[in-house]
Amino acid sequence: MSQRSLRDRILDPSETALAWALLTPAILFILAIVAYPVSRLLFNSLFDVRPALGVPITFVGLDNYATALSDSMFWRAVKNTLIITFVTVPGALVIGLGLAMLANMPFRFRSPIRLALLLPWALPLAFVGLIFAWFFHSEYGIVNDVIRRFGGEPQIWFNSPALTMMAICIATIWKTSSFMALILLAGLQTIPASLYEAAEVDGASKWTQFIEITLPLLVPSMLVALIFRTLTAIQSFDIPFSMPGPGEETQTLAMYIQINTVDYLDLGYGSTLAVFMFMLSMATTFVYLRYVRGDKD
Amino acid sequence: MRLNNLFTSKRLRWFAAGIVLFNGFFPAVWIFFTSLKNEVELTAKPITYWPQNPVLTNYIAAFRDQPLPGYLLNSAIVSILSMLLSLFISALAAYAIARLNLKRRNLILTCIIAVSMFPLVTLMVPLFEIMRSLNLLNSYVALVLPYTVLNLPICTLILVSFFQDIPRDIETAAMIDGCTRLGALWRVVMPLAAPGVFTAGILAFVNSWDEFLLSMSMNAAVAYRTLPVGIQMYQGEFSFPWPTISAALVIALVPVVTVILIFQERVVSGLTSGGLKG
Repeated sequence: MSQRSLRDRILDPSETALAWALLTPAILFILAIVAYPVSRLLFNSLFDVRPALGVPITFVGLDNYATALSDSMFWRAVKNTLIITFVTVPGALVIGLGLAMLANMPFRFRSPIRLALLLPWALPLAFVGLIFAWFFHSEYGIVNDVIRRFGGEPQIWFNSPALTMMAICIATIWKTSSFMALILLAGLQTIPASLYEAAEVDGASKWTQFIEITLPLLVPSMLVALIFRTLTAIQSFDIPFSMPGPGEETQTLAMYIQINTVDYLDLGYGSTLAVFMFMLSMATTFVYLRYVRGDKD
Repeated sequence: MRLNNLFTSKRLRWFAAGIVLFNGFFPAVWIFFTSLKNEVELTAKPITYWPQNPVLTNYIAAFRDQPLPGYLLNSAIVSILSMLLSLFISALAAYAIARLNLKRRNLILTCIIAVSMFPLVTLMVPLFEIMRSLNLLNSYVALVLPYTVLNLPICTLILVSFFQDIPRDIETAAMIDGCTRLGALWRVVMPLAAPGVFTAGILAFVNSWDEFLLSMSMNAAVAYRTLPVGIQMYQGEFSFPWPTISAALVIALVPVVTVILIFQERVVSGLTSGGLKG
């Protein structure tokens, strides 16, 4: 076979046909598991769909949306979700940056350090919720034990919505900061040492070096990590579910959607709530992307 | 290395290592200690740190009170099936994007990656309805299919970058020897991209292994529960058997810890590849 005909084969337009054939399984999966369900979701949000009650599926227009807007449990769930997001995203960033700086020191044995950053990432969120629920146990938890040892007043954490939220946020920050640290550590390792050496020559203090060199050069890694962290924070479910406070005071939007859909089988209302979740995520992505673009211009 | 000058003192380095290690391992260690304590010791005040009389009864209880091996098996089946399926699908897609004559390849890749921006909770609602109407609730399919799609973005992203790094000449040589395009993908490109395939596979496995919301919503029946859901079932309405839960957690941790112990470098490179390229 001559070189020329092989070249023809590679650049052949039928290559494009093969490319689309290879993309087909992925496209089919995305259509079946994402695109079709989402169209179904938008459709259902306009209907009264309660199969368990045996009521016929009826078109209700925007009634479900109106219900949600006047539903105090919905707003409470949104509030809790936003609290978790606004506390744990910056929290994980700060703690993650600290861990990354510490882990970036010249250690002889890197493997245990790497494992210490990987373990929280690999632990299922649901496990983390249970483990921290045990930490914050009012009688036998280590947190109250430490508080007692320092002469403080032990708390009944899960009797108070505020304290429960605090415990949920601490568990979430612990779980997510190590992923943040791994991303930032990779970013730190791409910063050329020569920059610090030059700053050293110029007599810049360590703090100035951190502010002027480290932070700006870390911004790209931070943004990517922050987008994903924020999107997952908005969907907080596993940890708040495993660390329930009094009543449903600390319910998140994801939990409220899940209860309406799976437990109450109110598929119309569940779909409407899910649309709100979708809009919240899209708004977040939009804000970040705008920021990224604005940054580049 | 660059902070070398900043923290030269050995003591400071030990201190830093101590903080990172404590932060990472303490919760797992504490759960392990709890799992070895008997009822009397657990309810002693002040609480003990180091287990005084380590017992294994909690591990026996963990297996007695819930079908733990069944949960492990379900998690393994679901995670491995969806890992293989997403590797297969994303390898084909990644090859098309990285290698073949395709217009707007970046747009296609972006569309696949955009799937990961999609809130899972939002997908859960219609998927629950669809699976329910197809009588697929409480089945492996109900989890394997969604998990496969959830893993597609990261797997495709990783494989595209690995495929791009393989010299075209090697493929061309294989094709001169009579390989077809797909033959070259299977016999030459995939083996050369093995590190990438491993990385993508491990991330897909861990993602599926950890998933809770879909699993709880779709497969509530005992026979199909995965570990994260099953672990929650130890608690009674009024009782919280912490030592038993701790023992179950320790057992449940073994597979994940093994995976990250063996593949830690691959996992780190996979996790950070998105961050650095994005």
